Amino acid sequence: MPRVSARGRRRLVLALTLLLAPLVTPVPVRADEPLFGFIQTVDLLPKGKFEVEQWATYRYKKAWGDFHVLENRTEFSYGITDAFQLSAYANWNWTTSKKDGTDRKQLVAETFAPQGVGLDPDKRFTDTRFIGVSLEGIWRLLSPYTDPVGLGILLEPTFGPDLVEFESRLLLQKNFFDDRLVIAFNFTLAQELRQLPGDNTAPPGTDEATRHWDRETDLNLGLAVSYRFARNWSAGWEFINEREFSELIFWQGKYATNDAYYTGPTLHYGGKSFFFTLTGIRQLPIAQDFANKGAASQVRGGINYADDFEKYRVRVKLGFYF
Amino acid sequence: MHARFLLVPAASVVLVAPAQATTYLTVEQAQAVLFPGATLTEDTRTLTKEQVRAIERDSGVNVLTPRLRVWRVSTGGWFIVDEVVGKHEFITYALGLDADGAVSGVEILDYREAYGDQIRIPAWRAQFQGKRHGARLKLTDDIKNISGATLSCRHITDGVKRLLATHAIALAAR
Repeated sequence: MPRVSARGRRRLVLALTLLLAPLVTPVPVRADEPLFGFIQTVDLLPKGKFEVEQWATYRYKKAWGDFHVLENRTEFSYGITDAFQLSAYANWNWTTSKKDGTDRKQLVAETFAPQGVGLDPDKRFTDTRFIGVSLEGIWRLLSPYTDPVGLGILLEPTFGPDLVEFESRLLLQKNFFDDRLVIAFNFTLAQELRQLPGDNTAPPGTDEATRHWDRETDLNLGLAVSYRFARNWSAGWEFINEREFSELIFWQGKYATNDAYYTGPTLHYGGKSFFFTLTGIRQLPIAQDFANKGAASQVRGGINYADDFEKYRVRVKLGFYF
Repeated sequence: MHARFLLVPAASVVLVAPAQATTYLTVEQAQAVLFPGATLTEDTRTLTKEQVRAIERDSGVNVLTPRLRVWRVSTGGWFIVDEVVGKHEFITYALGLDADGAVSGVEILDYREAYGDQIRIPAWRAQFQGKRHGARLKLTDDIKNISGATLSCRHITDGVKRLLATHAIALAAR
């Protein structure tokens, strides 16, 4: 485990405690549950059923220095109809980092970008912050159990102190072998507006010199497969391609900034009153930095280390219901 | 890290109770419901590889196990206990066939899922009454679906179709 300050450790403990506390409190809910960590299926809650779920995503390892982010989401979901599920999320993150940029200067995680402006590039940055609330609606248009393929649409706006984001996903799912083998595909488009304070070191007259809304589009492709190898237990593999654009559009290549590819295993347990999903993915060494070339490139050894990328991600999702 | 905080995830692990099956009927109770007053003689057997292949080809449904838990009924007919895949675990059910090989009833014995147990509704199970080998037995077609219990409905429907093929190939043919 890399070195983390005592203050950082206390905050990590606090974050973990807050993360797990809702899960040890009996809540009378019932749940569907995620087979995958990063890919969404079209399985929804039946009408009138309620679910609570806790996510934690640990992101770590840059080319240099020290970098850790813990992203937490607490989710409450309700089945409005058998084919429409509504969810609300509270999102809060913790981070600590020091000299983790490819230039060996401070580079804070993207979700802490407003706090990172004007920081001493050689000092450690540690912070915990509320990111925002999300609302999510998933419509299932075709069921993988009664139609040749499952099809769904996910829409998720997020509102935070410095953030407005709108994510939309196309969900596809195909089941085999009595629904024990599940293949899922996601096409995700997320458009973000992030308010950043003025940077004194930026050239005068530029957007960066004054308070402004930074614009970004993320386009992700995800493919995952899972097989139920024993009662209650499924194991699988996930693959994700993430692409970033520096505007609220993605079809013009001149706005492309970064891409990265992640892949790794996933394990899922689903019981009558509890479920969890554990997924670990690592970045493949085939990434590109379209915005910076040569020594300024954020890619080292084929791995993209821009502010929204790192080498490893581990996600756990937990849910209790009685 | 302070050790006491480790109690939080430890507590969550301790609270993970193994999933408990809800047993609606025992095998004996299901036999009494489907064949009241009759005497049943166990005739459990193992399907041959050829029979498994023939059943899968005939029904279009995978055979999960070659072991067939079957009883002969004194009044003619058969009583079969079978399992199909549920959301997390297996759903155990019983199928009654009359002397002519037509479905006389379906009973759910064990259900281990958090939801989807609407398959126990008598009106839904009654759709199988009288179905014979060769019946279409397709969910949303000749068998109505219960929204919110689709996976269970489909797998029970497939299970009955497979057992009717099993009867035709491995039981009635003897």
